[in-house]
Amino acid sequence: MSLRMIRWTALTLATAGLVLAVLFHWQVFFRVPTEASMGLVQRIFYIHAPAAWVAFLAFGIVALCSAVYLWLGEARLDRAALAAAEGGFVFTTIVLLTGPLWGKIAWGTWWTWEPRLTLTLLLWFIYLSYFLVRGATENPGRSQRFAAVVGIVGALNIPLIHISVLWFRSLHPQPVVVRADGPSLHPDMLNTLLTAMGSFTLLFLALFLLRYSVERMGDRADALVREQLHPTPGPTPRA
Amino acid sequence: MTAWIWAVWAILHKDLTREFRTWERLVAMASFAILTAILFNYALDRTEVDPARIASGLIWMTVLFSGLLGLGRTFHLEEEEDALVGLLLTPIPREALYFGKVAANAVLLGVIGGLLLGVFGLFFGLEVRGNPWALAGVMALGIVGFTAVGTLFSAISAGTTMGESLLPLLVFPLLVPLILFGGRATALVLSGGPAEALGGPVRMLGAFAVLALVTGGLLFRYVVEE
Repeated sequence: MSLRMIRWTALTLATAGLVLAVLFHWQVFFRVPTEASMGLVQRIFYIHAPAAWVAFLAFGIVALCSAVYLWLGEARLDRAALAAAEGGFVFTTIVLLTGPLWGKIAWGTWWTWEPRLTLTLLLWFIYLSYFLVRGATENPGRSQRFAAVVGIVGALNIPLIHISVLWFRSLHPQPVVVRADGPSLHPDMLNTLLTAMGSFTLLFLALFLLRYSVERMGDRADALVREQLHPTPGPTPRA
Repeated sequence: MTAWIWAVWAILHKDLTREFRTWERLVAMASFAILTAILFNYALDRTEVDPARIASGLIWMTVLFSGLLGLGRTFHLEEEEDALVGLLLTPIPREALYFGKVAANAVLLGVIGGLLLGVFGLFFGLEVRGNPWALAGVMALGIVGFTAVGTLFSAISAGTTMGESLLPLLVFPLLVPLILFGGRATALVLSGGPAEALGGPVRMLGAFAVLALVTGGLLFRYVVEE
């Protein structure tokens, strides 16, 4: 895909995501019924849960792109992994900010060693080490390989970390959407949740594509600089 | 296959020979472990908490801290005169290099683990009410998992400008299963709890070790290749 195409796709996705964001905020404030036991504060759920979904989706993309990058060695896969990691980091931060706000009122405490909360915090740190590894190497090829290894090992460990943190009794609401006997949510709640998830997913994809195109332009600029410093016979490398 | 095992053995032998000639890492790790145990004595109010009850967690935390101290230096052995390049030029597979390094590190950490059990036993009056072999098995499984992760990431941190300060950040988030199940299993054996209760934590430790060894063996080549 050309850069222009990528940017247009990103803009379209971002616009659609923003329209859905306005729509789900309207639903959250005016339409959705108030949850019986937790009250008004439960409405933060419509931001918290979709952000968590995107955070883990992004990490899946990071791991997948990293693994294929190590296998094929194509620079664009590494760019995609980096772009997904940065988007995922933003959404992981949103989860970690909204979780305690909700928890303080619903559970009476800012922090609890609740499995999914702990897992998300650890995911945040795995993302952080992914960026640190990238930044702390001088040789670009090496930094990409190191980051890919961190992404893959992090993703493979997540199920094990998840089992470990589950070992403690869970305070967190049990799954309410994907269940064998159908969703237990009120239909309006389910609609709002799905709108919010759609909105966040589209916004994430838009960020992902924009970040990817920036990386690609950066690589192209580097190639041009190298070309001017050490002209080589033959065609200019194209990004 | 035999050649492969010989290659692993050669690396293990080389690292241990060097260690037992210089005692660099073992002395640092052992003194760190004992000093930490002494500091724990003052950090804990012994009229409030019984150290024997929380010893398993403290032992594992000390194994991790002193382990990182030693694991961080794994690839410094080869730093002088580009010895790592020489090692990579030898016709041994990368996985054999990795498993040799892991084995050498696991031996060193095994020594430290045994020392720590003795020191904690002595300082805090611990006694092993369960099967001592089960204790050794739990320690060994945990240490193998830890060194498998730690060796891979020490190769990464050695290649960065941040060096060893990056290692805890890379490794600690991944060690939650180890500290949880290692601590639980050790506590069970120390208190002489029912043997059936040991099955779950031991299986998790085993799963962690196998997963860490397999991913480490597969990914190590991408870390050292230039």
